Amino acid sequence: MTRTRKPGVSRRSTLALMGAGAVTFAAPWVARAQAKTIKIGMPTILSGRVAQLGTSSRNAVMLEVEKVNAAGGLAGRQIEMVIRDSKGQPQEAARIARELVNTDGCEMLLDGEASSGSFAVHEVARDLGVLCIHTCSEASSLTADPKQHIPNAFRCVRQGIHDSIVGAGYAAGIAKTKGLKKWATCSPDYAYGRDTTGEFVLYLKKFAPDVEIISESWPKLFQPDYTEVVTKILQAKPQALYSCLWGGDLTSYIDQANIYALFTQMEVFAVNMADYTALTVVKNLPKGIHSGDRYIKTFPATPENAAWGDAYKAKYNEYPTNWSWQNATAVMFLNEAVKKANSTDGKKVAEVLTGLTIKCPFGADGTVTMRADDRTLVGYAIGWGTTIPQEPYVPDVKAGDWKTIFELEAEWKKSKGYT
Amino acid sequence: MTELQAGQGAQPLAPPRIDARPQRYRDVLIALVAFVLLALLPFIFGSKQLLDFVIRCAAYGLFATSLNLLVGYTGLISFGHGMFFGLGAYGFGLMMQKAGVAIPVAFVATLAMTFVVAVVIGAICVRLKEIYFAFVTLAFQMLIHSTILSWQSLTGGDQGLRGGIPRPPFLGIDLSNHLHLYIASCALLVIGLFLMRQIAQSPFGYTLRMIRDNATRASFIGIDVWRAKLTIFVLAALFAATGGMIMALFVSGAYPEFAYWTISGEGIFINMLGGVTTFLGPMVGTVLLLILNDTVTRLTEYHGIVLGIVILFFAIGLRKGLMDFVVEWFAQRRGEGRG
Repeated sequence: MTRTRKPGVSRRSTLALMGAGAVTFAAPWVARAQAKTIKIGMPTILSGRVAQLGTSSRNAVMLEVEKVNAAGGLAGRQIEMVIRDSKGQPQEAARIARELVNTDGCEMLLDGEASSGSFAVHEVARDLGVLCIHTCSEASSLTADPKQHIPNAFRCVRQGIHDSIVGAGYAAGIAKTKGLKKWATCSPDYAYGRDTTGEFVLYLKKFAPDVEIISESWPKLFQPDYTEVVTKILQAKPQALYSCLWGGDLTSYIDQANIYALFTQMEVFAVNMADYTALTVVKNLPKGIHSGDRYIKTFPATPENAAWGDAYKAKYNEYPTNWSWQNATAVMFLNEAVKKANSTDGKKVAEVLTGLTIKCPFGADGTVTMRADDRTLVGYAIGWGTTIPQEPYVPDVKAGDWKTIFELEAEWKKSKGYT
Repeated sequence: MTELQAGQGAQPLAPPRIDARPQRYRDVLIALVAFVLLALLPFIFGSKQLLDFVIRCAAYGLFATSLNLLVGYTGLISFGHGMFFGLGAYGFGLMMQKAGVAIPVAFVATLAMTFVVAVVIGAICVRLKEIYFAFVTLAFQMLIHSTILSWQSLTGGDQGLRGGIPRPPFLGIDLSNHLHLYIASCALLVIGLFLMRQIAQSPFGYTLRMIRDNATRASFIGIDVWRAKLTIFVLAALFAATGGMIMALFVSGAYPEFAYWTISGEGIFINMLGGVTTFLGPMVGTVLLLILNDTVTRLTEYHGIVLGIVILFFAIGLRKGLMDFVVEWFAQRRGEGRG
């Protein structure tokens, strides 16, 4: 039998391929033309060591979006979330953010990126002019630095500088009562760790001038073994230790320091301890670690906050994280802003969002505000307390004073040359 | 041996001179056609996603092809090539942010800076062989990465260069316009590939292949192996830096991840995927990897597993890159046809 079919790609399959290609690239326009729903894009980290950041953010967003959709959606349009994994790489975050807007037809962005990724998404927002709310990046410079200011980007996240001011005020009080003069620090060796620790020490010395730092340790981010750091601190014999280690690093550190009975020898101030992700993972949570509130359903001690924490737990069978409340708040802000603007147009919503105050379970006084001058979240519940090994883990949280935060934050901005 | 034979043998050898010009003309033609086709794409499809895709292909393609000059042509397996990608991005970004110079000036200045750094690092590294070379390049990469993280006042630490990269228009080209950026990236890609092709096909390129196959023999016939290796190390660094500059323009910033070892790893993966025995192998690998990455991350969170399986398929199943496989397959068919 002779072969009549020539090897290689036939004309028919070439045409089919070209057709498929054309359909692929035409798809966005078709999709946009049919848009009755409103798509909100969300680049975040869903894989790797900090995957919990993305998953707990996504959970919270979906929890709130379901509520908004059940109540009729954003100005009558049902929300459809498009959530993608950036793997924590800024170039991927930028690509995905662009793709979400340009191809998937997302009209708004919730930026669930941390650190450099959030800065990359910020540039996309600057370039495309799309409404963007950062929901995970705590780096103060993201909104404090005037170079970063654009009218369409907001930050609905707690900030390192706020934590440092409140933490230092709380720690100074205890330092004075208990006579803690010799301090050590142990924080991760990258910008967040260095900045937050520097600011904490600055304000601690301001509130309690006789405090002295006798030892500093800077373990690498994601370092597996802290033996060297723990022994160094023990040898220095400080009366108190400050740390802004977080997540898996903090829990590894505590587990390893427990072996050396470090927590019985000094007062420990770990700003990121009071988050269920850390509290529930540590094998033997020592009693009496001082911590800032990340998310805890008993602070603020309101029925709304407790109900929200329980609803989250009921739906996802785990407690929410700090990222969860921030993302939920962002959806609440969007919902309120769209209602007020009576439109889903990004520009109009951005105008309303600027300076907007909404009711919120996570507010210090039941409300939170998107401060107008730097488009960042203020008025959220912020405080410090001490741990116990079982629920509610941090029974008594002392709330920080926002008036002091504002005053010192303004000074800090000036010292950085931001204002 | 008779006198006659001796006399004949003593005649000066006249090696046949291969005229490289027709090949070069062909390359110029291919480059022009490729550029025109790429430049026409936006007018045919108009998809912004496609433009983004091609810009990223240009950045990674230049990076991966330059790595292949080391890996495939010279046998220098560099695990630290990503440092030049990062240097390109930071050098260019900083130059634009701090010095506020014109884009072409920043471009040339970044290449000059990369040149200096590559000469210093290369002079130390290329003396070493195989695994030692690989690890010392990796060590230098981590040194540069750590420097970027620690030198916060200049680089912004782990937050990267903040505030966007200004792009003042020059010669009627406005790189803040996405179409202009696309055309410029295509031009850089095509010119970069063309230049690298000329390097690979030049006598110097063949010297590199000889060094790869047997460095001792190369040195015995009078080739300065160290100098040749250093030269290609520096040239490859310049193209990698160009890739980094395209990426910096795409994301309007520079981030420490650009100089992290994972970027070098991706480069090596691209080379494995596309194949190192053909010039266009890494370019094909780039397109493949980016398509895979973009589609798989859309579909599943478990993209790591999918990409891992693909690597296994190429490494264990095909045991070569895609282009190697295709070229062999064609050669085989041609052989069969003749038989």
